[in-house]
Amino acid sequence: MSDLELPFSTRELLPTATPRRTRAAVGELVRPRRGLAVGAFAVMVAATAIGLLVQPLLGRMVDLVADHRPPDELTLPAVLLVLVAVAQGGTTALGLPLVSRLGETVLAQLRERFVERALQLPLEQVEKAGSGDLNARVTRDVSVVGEAVRGALPELARSLLAIVLTFAALAALDWRFLLAALLAVPVQAGTARWYVRNAVPLYAEQRIAMGAQQQQLLDTISGAGTVRAFRLEEPHTESVTQRSSTAVALTMRGVRLVLGFYNRLHIAEYTGLAAVLVTGFLLVRADSVSIGTATAAALYFHSLFGPINQALALLDDAQSATAALARLVGVADVPVPESAPPAPTAQHREPGTVTVTGVHHEYVPGRPVLRDVHLTLAAGERVALVGPSGAGKTTLAKLIAGVHRPTSGTVHLTGASTTADSLQVALVTQETHVFAGPLADDLRLARADASDEALRKALTEVDALDWVSALPEGLDTVVGEGGHRLTAAQVQQLALARLVLADPPVAVLDEATAEAGSTGARLLEKAADRAIEDRTALVVAHRLTQAADADRIVVMDGGRIVESGTHDELCAAAGTYASLWQAWSGTRTTAEKPPTRPSTGTTTTMKDH
Amino acid sequence: MSSPSQLSGRDVLRQSVRGQRRDVALGSLLGSGHQLGEAMVPVLIGLVIDRAVSGSDTGSLVSWLVVLAVGYVGLALSWRHSAWCAERAAAQAEHTLRISLVRRVLAPGGGAEEGRLPGALANIATEDAKRVGAVNLAATAGVSALAGVVVSAVVLLRMSVTLGLVVLLGTPVLLWLGHLLSKPLEERSEAEQERAAHASAVAADLVTGLRVLKGIGGESTALARYRTTSRDSLRATLKAARAQAFQSGMVLALTGCLIAAVALVGGRLAAQGDISLGQLVSAVGLALFLLGPLEVLAWVNAELAQGRASATRIAEVLAAPPAVTPGTATLTEPVRGAVRLTGVTLGGLRDLDLDIAPGELLGVVATDPAHATDLLRCLARRSDPEAGTVELDGVPLRDLDPAELRTALLVAEHDADLFEGTVRSNVTAAAPDTSDPEAAMTAAGVTQVAQTLPDGEDTAVSEAGRSLSGGQRQRVALARALAAERPVLVVHDPTTAVDAVTEAGIATGVREIRKGRTTVLVTNSPALLSVTDRVVLLEDGRVTDTATHVELIHRHETYRAAVLS
Repeated sequence: MSDLELPFSTRELLPTATPRRTRAAVGELVRPRRGLAVGAFAVMVAATAIGLLVQPLLGRMVDLVADHRPPDELTLPAVLLVLVAVAQGGTTALGLPLVSRLGETVLAQLRERFVERALQLPLEQVEKAGSGDLNARVTRDVSVVGEAVRGALPELARSLLAIVLTFAALAALDWRFLLAALLAVPVQAGTARWYVRNAVPLYAEQRIAMGAQQQQLLDTISGAGTVRAFRLEEPHTESVTQRSSTAVALTMRGVRLVLGFYNRLHIAEYTGLAAVLVTGFLLVRADSVSIGTATAAALYFHSLFGPINQALALLDDAQSATAALARLVGVADVPVPESAPPAPTAQHREPGTVTVTGVHHEYVPGRPVLRDVHLTLAAGERVALVGPSGAGKTTLAKLIAGVHRPTSGTVHLTGASTTADSLQVALVTQETHVFAGPLADDLRLARADASDEALRKALTEVDALDWVSALPEGLDTVVGEGGHRLTAAQVQQLALARLVLADPPVAVLDEATAEAGSTGARLLEKAADRAIEDRTALVVAHRLTQAADADRIVVMDGGRIVESGTHDELCAAAGTYASLWQAWSGTRTTAEKPPTRPSTGTTTTMKDH
Repeated sequence: MSSPSQLSGRDVLRQSVRGQRRDVALGSLLGSGHQLGEAMVPVLIGLVIDRAVSGSDTGSLVSWLVVLAVGYVGLALSWRHSAWCAERAAAQAEHTLRISLVRRVLAPGGGAEEGRLPGALANIATEDAKRVGAVNLAATAGVSALAGVVVSAVVLLRMSVTLGLVVLLGTPVLLWLGHLLSKPLEERSEAEQERAAHASAVAADLVTGLRVLKGIGGESTALARYRTTSRDSLRATLKAARAQAFQSGMVLALTGCLIAAVALVGGRLAAQGDISLGQLVSAVGLALFLLGPLEVLAWVNAELAQGRASATRIAEVLAAPPAVTPGTATLTEPVRGAVRLTGVTLGGLRDLDLDIAPGELLGVVATDPAHATDLLRCLARRSDPEAGTVELDGVPLRDLDPAELRTALLVAEHDADLFEGTVRSNVTAAAPDTSDPEAAMTAAGVTQVAQTLPDGEDTAVSEAGRSLSGGQRQRVALARALAAERPVLVVHDPTTAVDAVTEAGIATGVREIRKGRTTVLVTNSPALLSVTDRVVLLEDGRVTDTATHVELIHRHETYRAAVLS
């Protein structure tokens, strides 16, 4: 297990794309949809431009009143206002879906490429980065970018267009109105910079605090039984209070920041509004513009408050979305590792052989965990690997399963799968996962085209059909996150059923039966025995009864193989294994085997069928 | 305050707002002031145009701009403080609720986690607490928005009753129409958004199970499945986006029509001289402004509905009946550690009698693991037996406060969780100040574990101990149980993931360190059983044989099968 996992200091996070590469990647995704992009932009420009006709029409009405024209002349601009409203609503309803279509399609493509690469990443690289890194990217970053595309992007597009076109409209009324309005811009720009500079680190801190609080709550609540048993109620309440208080304090710091942000924007609003009003006053006095035009200008500027505040408030969303995007592109750009040469195919799968020659392995340079290991697994042979914690059992299992490549030496596999791309070596460890969804879907991950009949057969092999049939909806019962809860033993039975379905020539079981408690472990061992029948198998076992049953037992210590032979041979040799067996069986004398199993040294195991 | 058993969602909501009444009251007052200021901005624009621009009067321009500046300062300040109060009220209320939820979950009587998954409970303590807390924010915003509506109404009606009525009736009708049109769309789009969120859930699930997936070579199947989900999700999102765009377009069109109506009516009134030019401009501005507070009121309504639903969920947890009720008896110090079960029936246990002498090291072997769990449940007093009694030093457990019982008797479960901290802090979590954790760590084999960890005993333990391997975790948990130095210790399967050599060492270590104190090892492991004074065999929920491990191995076929197969 993770006795040998990497110390934290040697973590190498997964790659993050440079801003330039991120832009280029988005460009590559948008380019094939250039037509859509141009169309969306054009329609949104039209929608915004139509909306800007409102203020001049209102100004026109003010002029008509100021000129004491007959009231009936007001009807025309009023009707035009209605037409403008309908046209603006219509074009907006048309344009927004185009923007979404562009954003969402690009997003879907990006996330598919990301998941594709994530699944192809060598486990070695994922482990070096810590599994949390990839997990965070797939959960948080994908959703941050998704929300930005869904919410912020259309809003930002609309607001920016509204701002740019309103400025243009102000200039069209009179260029001096534009100058007046621009007085607010330095304040706004400064505010925006100030906000983003402070908001991004603060929100990052907030996310960490929220995560810590959530983790503490989960720890405390899921461990409530343990907390009560050890009378740790007070320290745990104290920890939750502390984390929650930290989160509250950070929330309030965020509030203060936002308040400061809007406060500065209020100043900008007043500056601009006063300037536009003064300009209107001066221009009207000089007879350069009408009162209606001055009104329209003031109304234009007043109508800018909304979009400007909106756009500036979205800046930090945009900022964090860009950062998340860079992390997604970073993984999506990881070169695909060269695939292994296609395995020889055959009509029927035959057990493979495994040859480990002179393997030496170290995770951290200078700290070898395997030294000069030679091991051959003959076709169909079942080898048990035993030894104290830290002996290198898991590392050897991982090397054979192809998770890591040995620092030096070779691991060579021969064997025949039924298809070229099917799996050579399956690895089942005590680390379990039930994939969310119907149970049948979970099993079909191992063999996509398996019939229900085949699934049932695999479940029978591992003694799981009874409880699966008893589930509310049998094979279709939703399991995993948010679904029907399975026991640790049931979860591991599913893992073994997947192994049966994947049907690899070689199987590696690394303490696959450890977490189920002593009685459950025994049932699982039986299931495991049947799952690896007719395969070449390496079984890392801590329960010696499981080892005693293997064709051959290999004992490791300090990264080396120290003994190898059948149970009887090793017991007779009175070496490490013999003393292990003595300790295990407690009172028993040397070569006596467990009572329920026939004491043969060959492949025969007890079968229930 | 109502008694916990009849606590309702409404009570939770009321208490949550009452607890923050000062902030809510002040926030509402200042928020109303801000709304007043916002309403005045369009009025002031109208006045500037009317008094200064149209008459080219520099003096009045300056004075009105000063008025506008004062208004801005006022509205900015009041908004700032109102928002501060409201946010603080929300955050504080959320925090208070979270802590009371945790206190309830950890209450010695238990019962709150019955039928709820830890994730769901943690969600109630975060999301639901947040929603209920946010009711304070909604209340503040609601009062302020109402003030904004009233102010605008007064200003408009004082200008002209006709124009006032057009605006005051027009805006709610507009919002109502928009709501009516978008409601079916909203419902549909909500379902679609849920489906859209599904894609990221599937991806996260696949990545979490990446090792398992790679172990069986399921990457390409998984990817194909993810592609399907992603495309489905894309279709759903686009549908939802169309619905939302239609809604936005509709609201824009309706707002435009309202402005046209106000401008026409106002323009005609102004042309007839009933109102001034500035008042016309103000009226149009106020019509636009009013949409804001009215939308806030609609939002407040939705927030309150959500807050109510969340408050109900919180009330259910707070009012959950305890699994066991405290008694009034006390234990005499020092606890001798005599445990006696008489005629106990619970789950699979049938009329079980068992006598454990003070200081004894007893092994319990159950042929059915469920029966072992039942035995632990009644010893830990997580449930009381259906029949029979369990006594500690002659005092029935039923008569004790479960909290007091647990200071004398510790049941260390097989799946005991570790907590965030270091290896050492986990071991010493429940240790008395006087104890020496080194002894417990040596006995449980943690010393060896520490040697292989990057920072030894100070290595961080995270994710409920999942940063350690199964075997490491078990040893740390056992050391914690030993270091707690309880007069009676019951341990369940402490070494299932530990290798045989280490297990033998642990067995000796446990015997040493617990010498003279009652210890029960519920396990099928021969290494542990061989160090016990006596073993009882539990078959079909009752004791069928008792003797030393060696004797049972020799004379009892069932025992041999249970322990050595």
